[in-house]
Amino acid sequence: MVKLNINSVDCFYGSVKVLESIVFSVEGGEFVGILGPNGSGKTTLLKTIGRILKPRVGTILLDDIDVYIMRAMEVAKNIAVVPQDTSVAFDFTALDLVLMGRNPHIGFFETETEKDLAISKKSMELTNIWNLADRKVSELSGGEKQRVIIARALAQEPKLLLLDEPTSHLDINYQIEMMDLLKELCKKKGLIILAVFHDFNLAARYCDSAILLSKGRVAAIGSLDAVLNKENIQKIFHVNAIVKQHPLTNSLYVVPLSTSKPGTMRPKALTVHVVCGGGTGVSLIRTLSEHNYRLTTGVLNVLDSDYDVVCTLGIPVVSEAPFSAITEEAYKANLNKIDNAKAVVLSNTPFGYGNLKNLEGVKASLEKGITTIVVDETPIQERDFTGGKARALYMELKDKGAIFVKNCDQVLSILKTLESKTGK
Amino acid sequence: MITWNMRHKSGEKDYFERFARWKMIIIFLVLALMLTITFAVTIGPKQIPPLDAWRIIVKNIPFLGNLVGDGSSGVEYSVNQSIVLQIRLPRIIAATIVGVALAVAGVVLQGLLRNPMADPYVIGISSGAALGASIVIGLGIGFSFLGIDAIQLMAFIGGLITVFVVYNIARTGPKVPMLTVLLAGIAITSFLSAIISFIMITLGESLHALVFWLFGSFTLSSWDNVAVAMPVIIIGLIVIVIFARQLNIMLLGDDQAQQLGVDIEKLKKIMLIVASLITAAAVSISGIIGFIGLIIPHIARILVGPDHRILVPSSALAGAIILVLCDTAARTIMEPVELPVGVFTAFFGVPFFLYLLRKKKSLIM
Repeated sequence: MVKLNINSVDCFYGSVKVLESIVFSVEGGEFVGILGPNGSGKTTLLKTIGRILKPRVGTILLDDIDVYIMRAMEVAKNIAVVPQDTSVAFDFTALDLVLMGRNPHIGFFETETEKDLAISKKSMELTNIWNLADRKVSELSGGEKQRVIIARALAQEPKLLLLDEPTSHLDINYQIEMMDLLKELCKKKGLIILAVFHDFNLAARYCDSAILLSKGRVAAIGSLDAVLNKENIQKIFHVNAIVKQHPLTNSLYVVPLSTSKPGTMRPKALTVHVVCGGGTGVSLIRTLSEHNYRLTTGVLNVLDSDYDVVCTLGIPVVSEAPFSAITEEAYKANLNKIDNAKAVVLSNTPFGYGNLKNLEGVKASLEKGITTIVVDETPIQERDFTGGKARALYMELKDKGAIFVKNCDQVLSILKTLESKTGK
Repeated sequence: MITWNMRHKSGEKDYFERFARWKMIIIFLVLALMLTITFAVTIGPKQIPPLDAWRIIVKNIPFLGNLVGDGSSGVEYSVNQSIVLQIRLPRIIAATIVGVALAVAGVVLQGLLRNPMADPYVIGISSGAALGASIVIGLGIGFSFLGIDAIQLMAFIGGLITVFVVYNIARTGPKVPMLTVLLAGIAITSFLSAIISFIMITLGESLHALVFWLFGSFTLSSWDNVAVAMPVIIIGLIVIVIFARQLNIMLLGDDQAQQLGVDIEKLKKIMLIVASLITAAAVSISGIIGFIGLIIPHIARILVGPDHRILVPSSALAGAIILVLCDTAARTIMEPVELPVGVFTAFFGVPFFLYLLRKKKSLIM
């Protein structure tokens, strides 16, 4: 089985160090994703392994042979590269270009044989472009071109396939098709695939393991769980994200929420308490946290989607056990939070017997003279599952002077006014 | 595109059919070259019947000569024989091989530099050769070495030295960035042109000879010139044909070519050396003939496509045909005054090229 060893590699562009102490090894049949922000050295790493940019320190061993002492022909028999930029200047046909992938297998004085043509045809059929065989590459679309280049790489019959954003120009259906194909080849033929991805979800779905690069160094390496977690995404990309296992594909998926550049909190930001539930608070909480209000929330059931969001964003929350009614204890804790807030915002929450206490909490805040804003998008009748109790409380809020609004933007403008008043 | 639908369905069969098509193109161009040569031999101050011309030519080829009988004899025939063999044929053969050399060197350099503006002179050969020639003419040296006259020898050496200098200026470690080669070539050319201009001013009487040489001319071509340059050009052509498939891959750029198994630095080196040798050999016979090396590769690319396996031979043949025609025009149109052949290559070549350019704009590169 083929084996790739990267032994403490340092790479330079001129005097600028672009890769530092890169160490890892991969075996045949492994599909490895390379992740990292722009300029972290992903493409450079592929170039180094693909014998384009010689490392100043360290070695790249393919089956224990240093690729930089192999002849170009020998390397091309073993390593195929699908570059990011696939521009082709001259008017070769798609088939011509794929046949160029056979070059390392054709002797110096020989020309293509039936066998080379058959292999090229096969790889074009696999990538679904055999019908484009006679078309000029310069006339193909970006996605078609990309599939031609992938077919060329397959025609090389490599043991190691290096892909730089292999699906960046592809439509979503071809993305899945291409990735399925690559994964299958990887497993069936025992190929090593190293691929740079910008799309975490695609990487998570297809890769066996991943390497996260940051500033030319390996920031994390190993299984996807270990690499693609909330903490790493926060640390390397400065993005708050939700990372979850998708119930259907059983792979991780990442939902970026907001950028989290530290030090942007305003010193005199208002403290706002949000009462929500059932996913109705997500956009409200995101908006308010993007505008750097100090947020607290409650009461939320664990497993509620709003709960996930506030946890991801690190917002203090009064929580209750899953699928349970709000206990007296949690209710009190919530009131406590409300007391510390300058404003309380109630989202477009549906009410059942379980969370009716939240509505009472809002009422309490109103009675204490705290500015209370109610987002009233859906008529309360439609989200009252308590046989009218919630509706009654809701009406009471209206009578006692809660501010009823229709959307997040209105909430923001009210909070802004409030802030400028208290600021003075 | 005309046969689009038909080809669309049979990519596989079509692929091997193309070799047959290429053969036809080459046979056609070879016949056209023979015809052109026949035409060129027959016209001049004295018209010679085509059949006589061929009989004279074939008669002087070993073995084949025995197969043709003496058609006619007498004074007329022997006069024709010396016109064909001593005056016209060496000149036509010289034009043929120079046409081959310049067109093929143009193809190679355009491909290597991936630049449609490149021609055989872009890396400094012409200016180096011109400097060599102007030194010989300026100093009035008249020696000959192994039957090669001084101008030819010095032009050849001057061209090669210049390329050697350009190459070494551009080289950074083991790598030779082609863009740097191009820029260094242009810079050196300007520098040498300045020296040549200086020499020209100081020349006086022999200025005319140098100007004529600089414009390019086959007036002084002899069998001796041809005998020296021909082996260089033929061997060069063979080497380039052998590397044709690798040249195709070079068009994808250094990185991709290397990843497809091409030893790019070696290929660049070999191709630069070969292109320089054949260009220097051509320039040493004829002086600096423009446009052939720039335009013939483009015309051929428009007509036969970008694949070097057909592009190189068809450019070679097309270059030969066009240059023989231009030289024939140069020596006959204003008889008995002879014009520089470069005037005609530009005069005919450029309009034809522009016509193709407008017709098939997208196909250039």
